[in-house]
Amino acid sequence: MSRGIDLQALTVGYKNPVISEATFNVEPGQIVALIGPNGAGKSTVLKTITRQLQKLDGTVYLQGMDEANMTEDDVAKLLSMVMTERIHPELMSCYDVVATGRYPYTGRLGNLRKEDHKTIDEAINLVGASEIIDKDFMKISDGQKQRVMLARAICQEPEVLVLDEPTSFLDIQFKIDILSVIKRLAKEKNIAVLMSIHELEFVPAIADFVVAVDEGRVVKVGSPEQVITGKQIQSLYHMEENTGDVLVKSLWEYAKGLKELLANK
Amino acid sequence: MNRNSRKILISYVLMVVVLVVFFFVSVGLGSADIKIKDIVKSLVSTDEVLLGKIIISIRLPRIIAAIVLGGALATSGVLLQIFFGNPIAGPYVLGISSGAKLIVALVMVFLLSKGVYINSIGMVSAAFVGSLISMGFVMLLANKVRNMSFLVVCGVMIGYICSAITEFVIAFADDSNIVNLHNWSLGSFSGITWGNVVISLIVVVVTLGCVFLLSKPIGAYQMGEAYARNMGVNIKRLRILLILLSSILSATVTAFAGPISFVGIAVPHIMKSIMKTAKPIIMVPATFLGGAIITLFCDGVARTAFAPRELSISAITAIGLAPVVIYLIVKRREGSNV
Repeated sequence: MSRGIDLQALTVGYKNPVISEATFNVEPGQIVALIGPNGAGKSTVLKTITRQLQKLDGTVYLQGMDEANMTEDDVAKLLSMVMTERIHPELMSCYDVVATGRYPYTGRLGNLRKEDHKTIDEAINLVGASEIIDKDFMKISDGQKQRVMLARAICQEPEVLVLDEPTSFLDIQFKIDILSVIKRLAKEKNIAVLMSIHELEFVPAIADFVVAVDEGRVVKVGSPEQVITGKQIQSLYHMEENTGDVLVKSLWEYAKGLKELLANK
Repeated sequence: MNRNSRKILISYVLMVVVLVVFFFVSVGLGSADIKIKDIVKSLVSTDEVLLGKIIISIRLPRIIAAIVLGGALATSGVLLQIFFGNPIAGPYVLGISSGAKLIVALVMVFLLSKGVYINSIGMVSAAFVGSLISMGFVMLLANKVRNMSFLVVCGVMIGYICSAITEFVIAFADDSNIVNLHNWSLGSFSGITWGNVVISLIVVVVTLGCVFLLSKPIGAYQMGEAYARNMGVNIKRLRILLILLSSILSATVTAFAGPISFVGIAVPHIMKSIMKTAKPIIMVPATFLGGAIITLFCDGVARTAFAPRELSISAITAIGLAPVVIYLIVKRREGSNV
């Protein structure tokens, strides 16, 4: 059993299954990228793992424990997330938003202790958001918001981090920053990271493993070299004949450059 | 202590001072004293004793009720705004006060026709049932269409329907006691007894205590349901508690003072702009104090502005606070963060 997150024949969906019998795991320190065409059910899987949606069947294990038998509080101390939904917190500074990550650890009235402030400061430094901590969260850019939300998730001190398209809608500099933070988190803090991602060109540079979903099931699990191939990508994204190889070739080129950039960060 | 918490502390102290000042001014001011004095002069030997009686049996319960129930109403508003994630929610615009009013009127008229007088606890219970019925309708509609303005329009419509039925009930009931119902159904603190005040105090203090203890999950809920759940909040339980607590508060107000307009919507926003924070642990006590001050002030105006004629308190709160609500809606339309 994985010390990170383990999905056993997990079926997710609303009334009808969107993805059936997904089985894969994410070990501590690993980054697993969840890929697939729009509407394939990537977010549905992530929402089920984070318990926003009820699973239809199967089991999610967190550090070997069945998530269904755990209390909200237990899950909160092991798993944190950054989802795509925009939040609109009123009159909250970025610091306040990050501090909400300490929720599972604070007392009855939620007052922050000295060590909480320390953890919050560390998380803010890690994502490089120290310059904006006093700003109103609603008045910063999307890229900065994403950093703040990542810091919030980090200061929840999770063992498992679930990210739904963490790089979408950001400009390239923010994308690279966020990816490098995610990579550092996994390696330095030994966190298991499961993230959905649209930008296939980032996958080889960031992911240890790739899970491809399409047409209601997991179609492939493997290393980036095994999954990001012309044939696989062509069929996964329903592309025209003989277009996959061209795309994947340039994609690996890009990924090579990005990998170097991330290594130097 | 940093700058912000000092500012919050100063705001609290100022509000308490203002409330104390308003309290003493309200005890001293009044229209009824002269009139009652004239009437009862022959019955009582000295003016001093009479004045004391007026203060103790009429004015004090009314003033304390305005403080406690005004605070409760504003707190109920802030809970509803958090529940619906909607800044223009409040017990009055969502029709919750009118639902409470309708059931109280029905129960009262029914019991009076049997020759039974309803007591304070009975009134609060009836109002609570009415609040929950209206709340149920509003939630049903809110689930169908997730739109802020739509929700308010539905609430206003529910309010109109309930008020209309209440009017029928009152118009066709012929008992002379029902006449008093008319004043109450427009919103008024007149005629509140010590018995009412004691029950209100108990209910409001206990409920506020619960709300205060919930400040932590309520704060998390302001980050949206998904993140609150991820922080470890039991969302289902919190939502039920929010509905129950806000309904108990607004029901207590409606049971004794009738529906009072706009305090529930406007006060939380006024407090947010004073305190510069939306944190429940600061906002809940601040909103209570703010609601108490504004309601006490409006009640003072209602009973003294055109003395000896008394106005309904909703007339005063509407003039003073409805513009605040309009401002909020316009501000939101402009896309700024209110």
